[in-house]
Amino acid sequence: MNQVKISRKDLMSVESPGRYVGGEFGSVIKENVLEQLEKTGTCKEVRTAFCFPDVYEIGMSNLALQILYKCLNDMEECWCERVFSPWVDMDAVMRKSNIELYSMESKSPLKDFDVVAFTLGYEMCYTNVLQMLDLGKIPFRTKDRKENDPIVVCGGPCAYNIEPMADFFDLAMMGEGEELIVEVTKIIKKYKDEGKKDRKKLLVELSQLEGVYVPSLYEPVYEDGRYVGLNKLHESAPDTIRKRIIKDLDNVPYPTNPVIPNIRIIHDRAYLEIFRGCIRGCRFCQAGFIYRPVREKSSETLCRQGIEIEHNTGYDELGILSLSSSDYTGLKELTDGLLEAFEGRHTSLSLPSLRIDNFALDLMEKVSQTRKSGLTFAPEAGTQRLRDVINKGICEEDIMKSLSLAFAGGWSTVKLYFMLGLPTETMEDVEGIADLARKIEKLYFDVCREQGIKARRPEITVSTSMYIPKPFTPFQWEKQNTKEEFLQKQSHLRSLLKSKNIKYIWHDVETSLWESVLARGDRRLCDVIEDGYRKGCFYDAWDDHFKYDTWMETLTEHGLTWEMFAKGFDVDDEHLPWEHIDVGVNMSFFKKEREKAYREEITPPCRTKCSACGAQCFKVGECYAPK
Amino acid sequence: MLQNERSLEMTRQQHQTEYVVRCLFERVGVASFVGHLDLMHTFDRAIRRAEMPILYTQGYNPRPMMVFALPLGVGIDTLGDYVDISLSRVVDAEEFMEKVNNNLPRGVKLYGGINIDEPKNSLMSVVTTAMYRIKAPGVQDPMLRLFEKDEIKVEKKSKGKIVETDIRPLLLSKAQKMPEDKDICELYVCAGSVKNLRPDVLMSALCKYEGYDEDAAANAEVTRLSLFGGEYPKLLDIKELL
Repeated sequence: MNQVKISRKDLMSVESPGRYVGGEFGSVIKENVLEQLEKTGTCKEVRTAFCFPDVYEIGMSNLALQILYKCLNDMEECWCERVFSPWVDMDAVMRKSNIELYSMESKSPLKDFDVVAFTLGYEMCYTNVLQMLDLGKIPFRTKDRKENDPIVVCGGPCAYNIEPMADFFDLAMMGEGEELIVEVTKIIKKYKDEGKKDRKKLLVELSQLEGVYVPSLYEPVYEDGRYVGLNKLHESAPDTIRKRIIKDLDNVPYPTNPVIPNIRIIHDRAYLEIFRGCIRGCRFCQAGFIYRPVREKSSETLCRQGIEIEHNTGYDELGILSLSSSDYTGLKELTDGLLEAFEGRHTSLSLPSLRIDNFALDLMEKVSQTRKSGLTFAPEAGTQRLRDVINKGICEEDIMKSLSLAFAGGWSTVKLYFMLGLPTETMEDVEGIADLARKIEKLYFDVCREQGIKARRPEITVSTSMYIPKPFTPFQWEKQNTKEEFLQKQSHLRSLLKSKNIKYIWHDVETSLWESVLARGDRRLCDVIEDGYRKGCFYDAWDDHFKYDTWMETLTEHGLTWEMFAKGFDVDDEHLPWEHIDVGVNMSFFKKEREKAYREEITPPCRTKCSACGAQCFKVGECYAPK
Repeated sequence: MLQNERSLEMTRQQHQTEYVVRCLFERVGVASFVGHLDLMHTFDRAIRRAEMPILYTQGYNPRPMMVFALPLGVGIDTLGDYVDISLSRVVDAEEFMEKVNNNLPRGVKLYGGINIDEPKNSLMSVVTTAMYRIKAPGVQDPMLRLFEKDEIKVEKKSKGKIVETDIRPLLLSKAQKMPEDKDICELYVCAGSVKNLRPDVLMSALCKYEGYDEDAAANAEVTRLSLFGGEYPKLLDIKELL
């Protein structure tokens, strides 16, 4: 069996060598497979390398990795191992010492695996996929891979528009992977049993599974530099690919025995996912649409799993995970149950995404180890008009009411998140952000006076990010703001937020400009991404390593421009590169929502009133709950 | 408030006595590439998984009550380090070790534990000496020659400045019975919070004074074999230093 060896000297020369050695509690070593490998160099089982295209500490914080690692290792016919992107220092060491990328568990070279599976959580990790294939000595392009090369697959939110990376993946899995990845693995097992004879035939067979997209079975067509649709290259390739969902979250495998890292990671806690989807329908938010319909886990299941996880992991913090914790119908039962169970055990709960009301404040007081941590609000836009445009169902009065309660309760730290560059935004809307921050500052002192609380210096943080139009949202056709527009808005806001109680945090514009190209790009970007990588771009998600100029230059070299992708699409007249993917929500719904946005009309949450988005087609969840 | 009650219940003040388990532990292989702080977290989680009643410190940021004899550098194996773990009730050391060992990652293992009353001297303060085994090509002879030197000056960074110190006094003795394998050297050096010689510093001195190959030094396998109290050559067993 091939095992990658790294010298002590090499390992000790990089930052945090613990990232590269494995050996964690809960990591799965299948001795029976190892034995076969040692004896014969091969095995009957399908060997899957689950690849996370970022550094270990981030990858190990990813719940999808832990879920799918469990699903695959629960299969007798599969052994799944983990692989992470080596940090730049280790990357250099590996190239210099000619060390191939290897798995954490058996230290096998990546190219010895049958399946190499990437999870794509954000567009900026694309170059790290190429880095990992490169260090793993696997051909980049699906067309260059031979029968014995690994099948390179992907999933995750970015898979919904995989076109910019389409040439590099043999297949993409749409939607929730727990069941689909098992089905795919079973077919690959058969392919392996039969001696890996016909790769093309395998891919065609896999393309028949609902949720599987095999990009090489289609060819994009462009006219006058515009994308006009896909040509099928094989008669049995499906016309549209519908995402997969899990119908019954109470009975789907959940990792209550996750891998526990030996070194500190970004989110060093256990996780409990309470529901999928979101009832809100904010028009900018891709997650709000692609995870529909809303499906909850019962509070009984969650209490049981939460207690199990806390015991099995030894973590002293359990993170409650969802897109909007307050919208979980069993939140009180769940938190009461867990708090009771954890009493005396030095375990705390963390509850992100809470809407601040009396119940939430009370809860925060109970669960938090540290006293009175900061409060976070995401009004996203500065004026009510623009909040209506984006369907952010939150008004100034709500914010002020919540904050009055919080300030009266002794809180004084508030974080406010906004986006710049939302559709229809004017300078007036930008100024609205500053107005809101100042009103909150005034409110703090007013509440303190009324309640007879000794006023401290409130800490109000305003943070703005750049809006990036994403596929599968009502704004998928919109134009992105230009660099100049973003910078102008940032500097205007900076000049308005001069109070010593208000801190303004702004983000790098250039990263967002490139992310927007990747998010709505098409297959012409495959060459650009490969070229950019060859010129040294990777770890683009890390500001220090992101090379904006290189990317713009590479686009130009391929006869493309930022404007071509950022200008968006004509809603009636143009094809979208992702239109063959079906997330359940109809294109016609997105169009209607877009029109409503321009009319500044809001759409109620699906729990209040069904807006017939199309997610009903999955026949489960909120769509069928009594209203 | 609920939280306060909870932390009180588990902290020292609530308990007149703490019940300490003093264990030896080994850390070998891939687990050795984990830093000292991370190793403490690893122990903490393993003890929690084993449902052992570990005590927490009081205050704003409660910490599990665990004392290590001597921090262990990244990349160094150990076969004989010590840790004191405070519990809120008596748990037989054998039972404690068995349950915690079932929950530790590969390469980390407790052994030789004893139940003791609250120690008067902290574990850290009793350590004076460490025995190391260094395995590297032909390392034994040049290492033994270092013992013949009167002084061994190495450069050390201290508060941003580079200072030269003599590490010769920190080099105590070679092992009573040196292994026949010339690639292995075993020796006693000063260790602890007062005087301490780090193995990597010793290896760099070896390169400087004996022209030992730097790559070989970087690849050397260093193992801490055991820790002692007392004063060399009258070394004392740490288990008896309460």
